[in-house]
Amino acid sequence: MKQAVYGLAGPVKKYGPLVLLGIFLLLPLLITKTYILGLLCRVLMYATLAGSLNVINGYSGQMCIGHAGFFCIGSYVEAILATRFGISFWLLLPLAGAVAALMGLMVALPTLKMRGVYLAIITLGFSEIIRLIALNWTEVTGGAMGIKNIPVPQLGGLEFSNARTYYYIFLGVAALFLFVTRRVVRSRIGRAWMSIREDQLAARSLGVNTPAYKAVNFMYGAFWAGIVGAAYAPYARFIDSTIYSLDEGFNILSMVIVGGSGTLMGPLAGSVVINALTELLRPIGQWRMVAYGVLIIVMMWFRPQGLIGASDSVLAGRDIKAKKQKAKEDAK
Amino acid sequence: MSAILRAEGVCKYFGGLKAVEAVDMEIAQGDIFGIIGPNGAGKTTFFNVCTGIYAPTQGRIYLGDEDISGLSPDKVAARGMARTFQNIQLFKYLTVRDNVKIGFHLHAKTRLWDAVLHTETYRKDEKLINEESEAILDRVGLSRYSGTMAGMLPYGVQRRVEIARALALEPRLLLLDEPAAGMNPQETMELAEFIRTLNADGYTIVLIEHDMRFVMNTCNRILVLNFGKKICEGTPDTVRADRNVHEAYFGKGLIAGEAVKKRA
Amino acid sequence: MEYILNQLVNGICQGAIYAMMAIGYSVVVGVVGMVTFTHGEVIMIGAFASYYAFEMAGNHILLGLLFSFAAAWLMGACVYKICYERFFSAPRNISMLCTIGFSMVVKNLAQIVFGPNQKPMLNIVDNKIYSLGIVQISTIQIVVVITVIVSATVLSFFFNKTRWGIKLRAVSQDKTAAYMVGINVKRTAMVGNCVGCALAGVSGMLLSIYYQTLQATMGGSLGMKAFSSSVLGGLTDIRFSALGGLCLGIIENLGITFSSASFRDIFAFIFLILMLLIRPEGFASKKGARP
Repeated sequence: MKQAVYGLAGPVKKYGPLVLLGIFLLLPLLITKTYILGLLCRVLMYATLAGSLNVINGYSGQMCIGHAGFFCIGSYVEAILATRFGISFWLLLPLAGAVAALMGLMVALPTLKMRGVYLAIITLGFSEIIRLIALNWTEVTGGAMGIKNIPVPQLGGLEFSNARTYYYIFLGVAALFLFVTRRVVRSRIGRAWMSIREDQLAARSLGVNTPAYKAVNFMYGAFWAGIVGAAYAPYARFIDSTIYSLDEGFNILSMVIVGGSGTLMGPLAGSVVINALTELLRPIGQWRMVAYGVLIIVMMWFRPQGLIGASDSVLAGRDIKAKKQKAKEDAK
Repeated sequence: MSAILRAEGVCKYFGGLKAVEAVDMEIAQGDIFGIIGPNGAGKTTFFNVCTGIYAPTQGRIYLGDEDISGLSPDKVAARGMARTFQNIQLFKYLTVRDNVKIGFHLHAKTRLWDAVLHTETYRKDEKLINEESEAILDRVGLSRYSGTMAGMLPYGVQRRVEIARALALEPRLLLLDEPAAGMNPQETMELAEFIRTLNADGYTIVLIEHDMRFVMNTCNRILVLNFGKKICEGTPDTVRADRNVHEAYFGKGLIAGEAVKKRA
Repeated sequence: MEYILNQLVNGICQGAIYAMMAIGYSVVVGVVGMVTFTHGEVIMIGAFASYYAFEMAGNHILLGLLFSFAAAWLMGACVYKICYERFFSAPRNISMLCTIGFSMVVKNLAQIVFGPNQKPMLNIVDNKIYSLGIVQISTIQIVVVITVIVSATVLSFFFNKTRWGIKLRAVSQDKTAAYMVGINVKRTAMVGNCVGCALAGVSGMLLSIYYQTLQATMGGSLGMKAFSSSVLGGLTDIRFSALGGLCLGIIENLGITFSSASFRDIFAFIFLILMLLIRPEGFASKKGARP
């Protein structure tokens, strides 16, 4: 039986992503309701956003809780440059990512040699500052009025002006993200990140330049959040600072926590679960955020690594003693 | 023989506490060098200063001809010094294989770009790492554990994994902090054998140990610390005969007692 | 010049409240040994407790003090049970995320129960303004500063002279050693957490009296300020945390004189970054339990 499962694991690992991509590519053809398509767009968008946060929180064990800040930067960079200077969306996508990554570096620099909590609080503050700047720097960001009429992206003769077409942009970004990240985490760089998560002292003694790798890791996460932000702005057509609140950051965080940290598929699952919950709980308004809070606590109590998170990591908390115990009992 | 690791008047103070004071040491290429001393003698602190975890308050440390005092641990590691830890700092939740693979960090040149595009560099690196890590596991006799989560292994095996991981750095110098702690006599014997094999393979080894017999049997030269100061250095026989060492370990009273016995 | 001097006085007064928040924070981090993100929410609960106390039972500051203290103490107990008790041996991130989850719960519940809008605080003190030369001081400011000083004195007496205080200090320095000499570490940690939270609650009351308003969402930036202030003391040292709070208050008030009031919350952030760049381990030479 076990053998059979192992026999399957190879092909599933090899072709699974392709099959998944195929399914996602075909989905818009099967679904006619715009509402559902819009929801799918959100799922894909948040999957990438949560995925980029997971690179930071899940792979290198750092702690970013103000991810909305980078999301915000990406959106505003795109919106401002597209409305003011009419620069092409496709050019702005990587540019927004680069700006976010640069900000990420600035945020991470003062805390690289310190305990995780400092980074956590700095990201929290940073996210709030970015929002305040977006709200108050009226000449550039439009202040409380926000930025309207963000031009939609075009490719050839195709206009991405509704959820049905825009879906493919989000899908493209998500697929690219997963593809690239999968390759990165399976290289020396990903291993270095994980070694930092597991034991910094040991990582350093093996020659891993921990501050540099933490910085790269943080920039990588911020980069993708910036890209998603840039992808989001023309989709919404209108952005203002209220979208990028701390709650938004917590929302993304709860996707990572619920779905699972330290795996590629975890944040996708988290995005599906949380977005589904968001729709189901929409009638109860504010209680939704309460529910997310409770969900985070419940996850921390019973499954800190998340639903499909890396159970073979330090993220899983106290599991190893119990496992050792169980292995002993099994041996008997 | 030339010195591979040299300490000159190394001091490390924590506030008013003089954990290591004016220690000189010279380790020859190809040696097995032991550092002993009673509890709290500053052995591990001295190790930590050598490997860059602490910067020395005073004094210099040279690896080969290069001054490495005050460099960060990763830079020290990059210059060819690998170490293990007294209380085992394995990546507990990763498999033994992954533990060793991370040890190859310095020998791979993959950059972010290479990893994304799977360039020639990446493929070469991964191939090298995969092959070499299997080879090391084989050599250390851990092949059958390679897929096991490191934290699940028995204590003695974990220590060996840590050594295997350090070997992955292909170091010039291997520092082992209490490698035999928590091992039973059988395991200790095997370990001594293993250390001698490594030495025969060309590694210079420095070890801290409490087990006197272990040190006396494996090491060629020994440094004895007490209260952060060097009290003796030399071959096992010299150390065995040294009066200061006896005093440090047994106190003056006992030696006085022995003297009385001899007289009677 | 006159304006700046007045802002300085305002800053000192506000700094006194921040100092109290920071003291609470460093007590929590010191004794429990874990970092909290619920501090801002505890402050908010304290403010609302006093608000309802004033509204229902009458206008007396001692009444508000009692209620905010008690409510925040209860909050502290909840935080401890939910976020800390199970996680003493787990990786730090877990309890930290737990406090984030709990703060989300409290903040949003508060918005449901108390309403999302700003509420005007009742006039507790008959507010008069005294002129001392060119500097003007209001009754509220005097009341606030006196309350902070009295609380700090009581706290220092508690920590240095009472049995519980000594236990708390022992636990904050070394949990294992405290356990060895027969201290019930978990219970002591809980009391420590409650004391820290209760201080935060009282500071919440003072803050809402000072600003004359309170709001369910006020916690977020306040928690950040408490953290920033206590970085000065390496998160655990009480005296330096208090000093940090005072500095922060002054910086903030002088800062908004030179920019706009909408950037008020940015100064805490700048202060934090500067602290981290200059002296990340804080100025306290004694090292307590590190989180």
